[in-house]
Amino acid sequence: MPEDNRSPIIHIRDLHKCYWVGSMPYPALNGIDLELQNGEFVVLAGRSGSGKSTLLNIVGGLESADRGEARVLGEDILKMGNSQRSGFRLANIGFVFQAYNLIRVLSARENVAYVCQLQGKSKQESLEIANHWLHEVEIGHLGYRRPDQLSGGQQQRVAVARALATEPKIILADEPTANLDSTTGRHLIELMQRLNQSLGTTFLISSHDPDVKQAASRLIKLSDGFIVNSWDEETKPPVSLAVTCPIRNRSFGERLRHFFKPRRRTDQQTKQRTSRHS
Amino acid sequence: MADAKSQLNLHLARLALRNLLGHPRRTLLTSGAIALGLAALIFLWGFNEGLHRNMLGNFQNSIIGALQIHRQGFFQHPDLSLTITNPQKISETLQKHGVTRYSQRLDTFGLAASDHTTQGVMLIGMDPLNEPKVTELGRRIGIGRFLQPDDSYTLILGATTANNLKVQLGDEVVMIGYDRYGAMIAESFTLVGIITSGEMGLDSGMAITSLATLQEMVDLQGQVTTFVINVDERTLPDLVSSLNVDLADQQLEVMPWHTMFPVMKEWVTLHNGFLYLFLGIVLFIVLAGELNTLLLSMLDRTREFGVLMAIGTSRRQIALLMVVEAVTIGIIGILLGTLLGYLIILLTGMIGIDLSILLGSTSRFYVDPLIYPQLKLDHLGITASAILMASILSGIYPAWRASLLQPVEAIRNG
Ligand SMILES: Nc1ncnc2c1ncn2[C@@H]1O[C@H](COP(=O)(O)OP(=O)(O)OP(=O)(O)O)[C@@H](O)[C@H]1O
Ligand SMILES: [Mg+2]
Repeated sequence: MPEDNRSPIIHIRDLHKCYWVGSMPYPALNGIDLELQNGEFVVLAGRSGSGKSTLLNIVGGLESADRGEARVLGEDILKMGNSQRSGFRLANIGFVFQAYNLIRVLSARENVAYVCQLQGKSKQESLEIANHWLHEVEIGHLGYRRPDQLSGGQQQRVAVARALATEPKIILADEPTANLDSTTGRHLIELMQRLNQSLGTTFLISSHDPDVKQAASRLIKLSDGFIVNSWDEETKPPVSLAVTCPIRNRSFGERLRHFFKPRRRTDQQTKQRTSRHS
Repeated sequence: MADAKSQLNLHLARLALRNLLGHPRRTLLTSGAIALGLAALIFLWGFNEGLHRNMLGNFQNSIIGALQIHRQGFFQHPDLSLTITNPQKISETLQKHGVTRYSQRLDTFGLAASDHTTQGVMLIGMDPLNEPKVTELGRRIGIGRFLQPDDSYTLILGATTANNLKVQLGDEVVMIGYDRYGAMIAESFTLVGIITSGEMGLDSGMAITSLATLQEMVDLQGQVTTFVINVDERTLPDLVSSLNVDLADQQLEVMPWHTMFPVMKEWVTLHNGFLYLFLGIVLFIVLAGELNTLLLSMLDRTREFGVLMAIGTSRRQIALLMVVEAVTIGIIGILLGTLLGYLIILLTGMIGIDLSILLGSTSRFYVDPLIYPQLKLDHLGITASAILMASILSGIYPAWRASLLQPVEAIRNG
């Protein structure tokens, strides 16, 4: 790995991302600057729609960005191709999602072993690793159960064990406690905190959950695609579609459809066009 | 490295199997549908094969044999000037190739005359000793008997001809013909047997006497026009080609049954064509059914695939997963179907299938009312591999769709 200990493990500069619904742009990230040091336990907070998932997905190489830079472990994740990204995720990043994380037909330990086997380890070795991590997340005795035989909290523990099984540098968790009751959620977050301390794995977690925010070594607040440092909503910069969303490169199919179905531009769109050119 | 890669493929294949085992009903229903289609096809092939063998066997055994040898051009223009020059050489060659069931004949034309009327017939001189090794004409003589070695000027007629002539067993029939010089001759024969086969081709237009009698009548002592040979269908093509080589200098025509009567072969081909059509229909059903199952199961697992991709499964691996599932469903179906089809063939092959309701109790067009299905391995091979191909094909589209999933959208919308 090219990075040394002082350089950030995640380094994001001026990150922009727009979603398009038809010809309407929805800016999701409007110039994010963010650095995470190795071993941090960072929580992303912010209202629904503020861009937390988008940011996590870009850091994890699941989505592309329009503009800016996103270096993870010193590598520019935005410049990677699809298969490069999936290899990078397998080697360096663990994912935990809100729900339905697990493969239904596999037992807990097989779910955890899955990623080790993806790395080419033997079945035997992978299952041993899985047992180890299931013990780490305190459900070693439930290894033979299938996901539908586990509670939501237990399933999330399996997901955490799976995220850890490849010993990644970074774990990204998108609202991991959202589907759990508050006690179970608190236990899960305590577990993650403990693992962060004992293993030194960097955690980046998005959450609305006050317990999760409480646990953070650093809390980052997102609002309308900006990072806001104060809790005061008023301090965020004004959103301007014109600066955020690039002219869209339409695919050939979309152009064709557009050509055969000419529509009158709305005033807003016309304004956008003019401001883009100026 | 290669080892890790094969480990990995094995791992994915195992996951595919687990997915199938995890939905046993869906898997069994799809495989079962394939199995039923295959079993039905196997049965049809077997029935068809049994029918064809029965028909062709009866056809060949009734009179023409599997193979005939004549002087070049005799089959088109049966003329007594075209006798076989060196029958000894043919006998030796046949024996060299291990053929024992053959017989010699003298074929010509004649006019059968009774007190009432005359009737044009094909006049065949048969060897009473060797003919039964080649054909089963004797079994088709319902009234009277077949030729015997010491017979002289005895005659066998088809039932229709005998009726037309209004003659009965023991009656005199005069045969009028030409000898080898072209002079008209007439001899009186005693009717000793009447063919009552029910087949138009046998019951009319034929008169049979012993080879020696006919040779004497047309003044061709020791000469024959035809060798009739009975061999197994499987050895026929090889025998024909070696005879063609060995007898190349003899100015002969070596004619297997299908060269003499192409219609029979065409009939078989046509029949098989129908089965290929049916195979096409079954393949389409297999394709559509399995495609449907796999697409449903893919849609069902969209979110799961999204997660799998997010945690590092590549698109190629996701596609592989789907294809392995498709192929496995196909293979299970093929195994079950082959087993089932084979059992059906075994059972019906033992007890036979009674067609007498359809055909009546006597045979029609050389088909016996009881058919014993038989399985030909190349039919099984063609059908099973076509179904395997169809199931691979039906996996490709869902695999492609699955590999195009965007993990984020799959997780959000799945
Ligand atoms: N596929 C998409 N198509 C269009 N707009 C999208 C898409 N995904 C996200 N968005 C928009 O981008 C913005 C940010 O979404 P994001 O999912 O990152 O928010 P979030 O902070 O994770 O919200 P939540 O807390 O509800 O999960 C929202 O306005 C959302 O509507
Ligand atoms: Mg979200």
